[in-house]
Order: sequence, then structure tokens, then C-alpha cells
Amino acid sequence: MKLDLANPDWRTTLPPSRSVASDAPVAACAFSRDGKTVAFALGDGRVRLLPADVKQAADGAPEPAHQGAVLSLIADPVGDGFISGGDDGRLLRLGPDGAATEIAHHKGRWIDKLAAHRSNGTFAASVGKMALVVDKAGVREFGPHASTVAAIDFSKDGSRIAAAHYGGVTVWSIGQVTLPPRRLAWAGSHVALKWSTDGKFIATGTQENDIHVWRIAQSSDMRMAGYPAKVKSLSWSADARWLYTSSQPVFTAWPFAGKGPEGKPPLQFGDEGAGLLTVVAAHPVAEFVAGGYDSGELQLGDIKTRRSVVLKMADGSAASALAWSPDGFRLAAGNDKGDLLVVDLRR
Amino acid sequence: MAEPQVPVTVLTGYLGAGKTTLLNRILSEQHGKKYAVIVNEFGELGIDNDLVVNADEEVFEMNNGCICCTVRGDLIRIIEGLMKRKEKFDGILVETTGLADPGPVAQTFFTDDDVKARTRLDAIVTVVDAKHFLGQLEQGDEAEEQVAFADVILLNKTDLVSADDLAKVEARIKSINPYARLHKTQKSQIELGAILDKGAFDLKRILEFEPDFLEHGHDHDHGEEVASLSFTAERPVDPDKFQKWMGALLQLRGGDILRSKGILAIDGAPKRYVFQGVHMMMDADWGTPWKPGETRASKLVFIGRNLDAENLKRGFEDCLK
Repeated sequence: MKLDLANPDWRTTLPPSRSVASDAPVAACAFSRDGKTVAFALGDGRVRLLPADVKQAADGAPEPAHQGAVLSLIADPVGDGFISGGDDGRLLRLGPDGAATEIAHHKGRWIDKLAAHRSNGTFAASVGKMALVVDKAGVREFGPHASTVAAIDFSKDGSRIAAAHYGGVTVWSIGQVTLPPRRLAWAGSHVALKWSTDGKFIATGTQENDIHVWRIAQSSDMRMAGYPAKVKSLSWSADARWLYTSSQPVFTAWPFAGKGPEGKPPLQFGDEGAGLLTVVAAHPVAEFVAGGYDSGELQLGDIKTRRSVVLKMADGSAASALAWSPDGFRLAAGNDKGDLLVVDLRR
Repeated sequence: MAEPQVPVTVLTGYLGAGKTTLLNRILSEQHGKKYAVIVNEFGELGIDNDLVVNADEEVFEMNNGCICCTVRGDLIRIIEGLMKRKEKFDGILVETTGLADPGPVAQTFFTDDDVKARTRLDAIVTVVDAKHFLGQLEQGDEAEEQVAFADVILLNKTDLVSADDLAKVEARIKSINPYARLHKTQKSQIELGAILDKGAFDLKRILEFEPDFLEHGHDHDHGEEVASLSFTAERPVDPDKFQKWMGALLQLRGGDILRSKGILAIDGAPKRYVFQGVHMMMDADWGTPWKPGETRASKLVFIGRNLDAENLKRGFEDCLK
């Protein structure tokens, strides 16, 4: 992986990119598993597909896939298309050409959170108080939880899912053997959740602007306070040494190597002045992190050298979605105004 | 980011008071506006042009050590989701269940930064069943609290009671909350201007909304019941003392104080200091300037339960210069 942020080119020119104005807020974006297509979930019901290659010609806007807004989107874990969820209660599988098949329809409910396991082909969706798990065998429901499920993620080995809700997190075994769920309790409402890339920790962002992290093996937990806003975006580095968090003016990474972050301050780096980070996404392979600000600025950071470079200038529209290509050479970003951006980072 | 905040109207009222009828009236009127409607069950709603969202009332305690600090988690989530839609709304209507406490709904708009950035609480509209209200008061705190929280009250189904009984109900409502605008209605028939876009939580409009706000209030001693208390003063208020007293009061008694409002003449300040609160939450700002020669009178209003008039009066007076 070669992204040298010391290269002076980063300081003088923005990297090659494709920018498309869609006019509808972007709820999520994702690259397909084969890395060839990038998709944006839009507030007008459309899922806009663009070639990952920023020079390749792109199709125009498609017909809406959902009625209302598309609220969630991930790469299809078993194909080269995508999975989308909407406020029309529909869960769709989209081919690389955008052709949709309905997986589930929960009338009057929203499908607002999706997560997939990277290799076993299973994905999960939140529908009200329930979590749906979809695999070859079909759709299974887990729950109900104490409240509407606010976030969902898979364990590293794919054998469990964790659902965030009011009062904590519930961990379900999703294998064929039915085991009772495990409750990780912490008072208040949990609004974001990410299971660490090594499977050892579950981190949540809370309604009270804190982060809560549970150690799975020891059943111990910790709280990180002091954020000026809710932390709605969390991202673990590929090597699980760092937990990146939004809602700070610079990249903020809690150290999880060795004994963990207790008693240590987070590592902070990058250029202040762009506002607060609204989305962060750790690089899928290497030690980089991308961050989008409420001002619209996009930055790329390198935790080893603590350098950061600007990928997109502030434009007044908050960054709302970020995604890396599987190889880590391209980055997709969307904002509240509906600008779709794909950046090619090879220089 | 400077998008205008979408006004949110909360419709409360005991079971069967006429909330859904009112909601249908709002939606079926030819106003050319587009509303998002957050309801708890699918009733006979679903006017083509509007969006109906089905919600479970999820009341969350904030994990911040304050027991009366509760919010509607479902509202936070739904408002965030609505803002992801391309189409924008002229307003959001929230219908609560008949047994709901309006506190958490109102507090959501004081507490959650994302909700505050995108929306503003316009008014709490309570529909009261003229025939059954007095009986409902006996069945629990809900009917009383819904009236206590209200900015606008529809005293509905007036055709089902005698003039005498209606007067009794009206007097009882006034004893709980004399500051809300009261409209007598049948079948929830009301001009929409009377309930929408009232700016009842807009600090700039506190005076405009309540022209009799500065008239002399009436003190009651209802003990356990919800009642209102008001205090006036013509001596200027010491800002430090007031802040200390009010802060401690809301901290200790925030559970019992349902709503508070005030216009203060701060010693030496050219403008009115206005504030309003729901339980422990409070918003405050500078209001309009005092005119030359105008009587600089301060006024404070509390609506709540177990209010100790003597104690509050003394507390307020200690804040005066």
C-alpha cells in the first residue's frame, strides 16, 4: 500500500476525482465487492451507481429504487452489487447494473441500518426493534430489543451480531445453534456501534456525547467522555490498534494496542479549522484514515506520520458518508447537499 | 447549514378527546403545505400529499444523573431520517398517545443538538374532551399534565355538555394553566392559524403570544394538583442571584416544575431578559429593549405540581436589587 502523504503534490493539487451533483442528501455510500462500482444512497429514493474508475463514462440518474429516502447501503457480500434499505420499509438487492430484487418488505417501518460480514456472505438489517439476518438460508429475525435498533455490526468471525439500543448492546449468536443473547448494559441510548476488527471490543456512541467500549472476553467496559456532539461515526483501524471517532476538530484515535486506552489520552492529529468531523473511515488495509467535516472539507490522515492532507475543500455542506474501495486506493464521499465524489488516491 | 428550522407541532390529549379528528382536519385542508406526520398507530390518515411515519413512543432517560431528563428517542431518530429526504416539509406534526406525558417530547427539542439544528418546537396543542375531562383528572396525572404543558388548548365536544358544566371544565383548565390560548370547539373544528405556526417556544415571541402575560396573575393553592404561580416585581433583578436561585430550583424541583417562563428586567440592562423552560431544561436570551419611560416590570410564571408559593415568592424577592 503506497500512499505517501509527504509527497509535495498533496499540498499543491487535489487528487483526480469525479464529482456528480445529485440534489438529494446522501445517506450512505459503498464500493462493490469487486471494487468496480461505487453506489450512493440518496434522499430521493435513488441509488446512484458510478464507475469506480473516475475517468470512465458514467450513466445518468436511475429510476428511484425506493419510495422516499434510501437510508442505508452496503456492498452485497455475495455479489458485485449492493444491498439497500429505505424509509419505505423495503430491503433490496441491487445488481451491478442497478436491477433490484426485494428481499423483505416491512410496511410502515424503516430499514435504516445495514452491516455485512466481510467473507461469509451474511448481512444484517435493522427494522424497528428487530434485527434481520440474511444469508443463503433466508431471512431470520432477532429481537425484539429494548428500543428501535440504532446500529448493528458483525463479530470478526461472523458468528455473532451486536445491536445497539436504549440501555446498551445485545449480542446474538447467529449460527444454527440457538444460544441466549448476551446483554452489555450501559444506561442511556446508544446511537452508533462498531465491533473491532480483531473481534475483541465493541464500541458505541451515546446520546450523551460519550463513547462506550466493552471488552468482550473480560466483560469489562470503559467510557470516553468530552465530545462536543454525539459520536455517530466510529471506525476501527484494519489492525485494530486504533478506534477513530467523529465529532472532534482533528483526527482522534483511541489506542487499543497492548493494555488498551485506560488512562491514556487519544492520539490527535491533522489540521484544525475545518469544523467538526462528521464521518470517519479507517483505511481497509493500511494506517490511513479519511475524515469528512461538517464544513464539507475532506481530509486524509496518516497515523504513523501524523500528517494530513486535504482531499476536498469545505463547501458548507456537511459530509454525510465515506467509503473506501476494497483495495484502499479510492475513496467515495457524499454530503447533505447531494454532491457525490469519488477520489483516486494513486499519485 | 443555515437551512430554516422546520416547525414541529405536538398534538396531545386524552384518549378520545379528538386528536385524530384534528389531525385529519389539518391534513385535509387546502393549505398547499406539506407535512410529515408522526403517529403511533395507523389511523384513518394518509392524505396523498403528506408523509405519515409510524412511531413507537420510546421515552429514554438521559444518562446524565437527572431523572426528569427524558427524551423521545424515536423522535430524534425520525427527525434525523426525515432530513435525509430530498423533499422538504413545511411542518412536522407529532401526535402523542392519549396517555403520554408531553414532557419528554418537549425536552427532546431542548436537549438534542441535531433536532435543535433542524427543527424547532412550535407549540404544544392539547385537545380536551369537555364531557370527560373532570373524570379523567381522577384517573391519573396524564390529563392534567397535558393541559399544564399546553400552549393552545382546544376545549372540544362543547356540544355534549351543558353551559354550566362547560364553565366548570373551563375554570378547572384555567386553574391548571391560565396562560394557554383556549378555543372552544366541536368536532375539533378550528382555524389552522389558531394552532399552527404559533412560535410558542420562540423567546422572541413570548410577549406577542401572551398579551396578558404581564397582567396580574392569580395564585392558587391546590396542593397535589398542577397549578400555576406568577410573580411580578418592579425592582430590578440581580442577574447573578437570579441565575443561582433558578439553577438550584430547577435542579431540585425540575421534576415538579412542568413549564416556566419569565421576562426579567435585569439591573442596568437595556433589553428584557426572556427565558422559558420545560422541567430542568431552559432556554434564555435577550428580548426587545425597554422603551424610555416604560415600567420595567419583571414577571415569572411556573406551572407545576406541589409548588410552594411562599417559598418561591421569597426566593424570587431575594434576587431583586
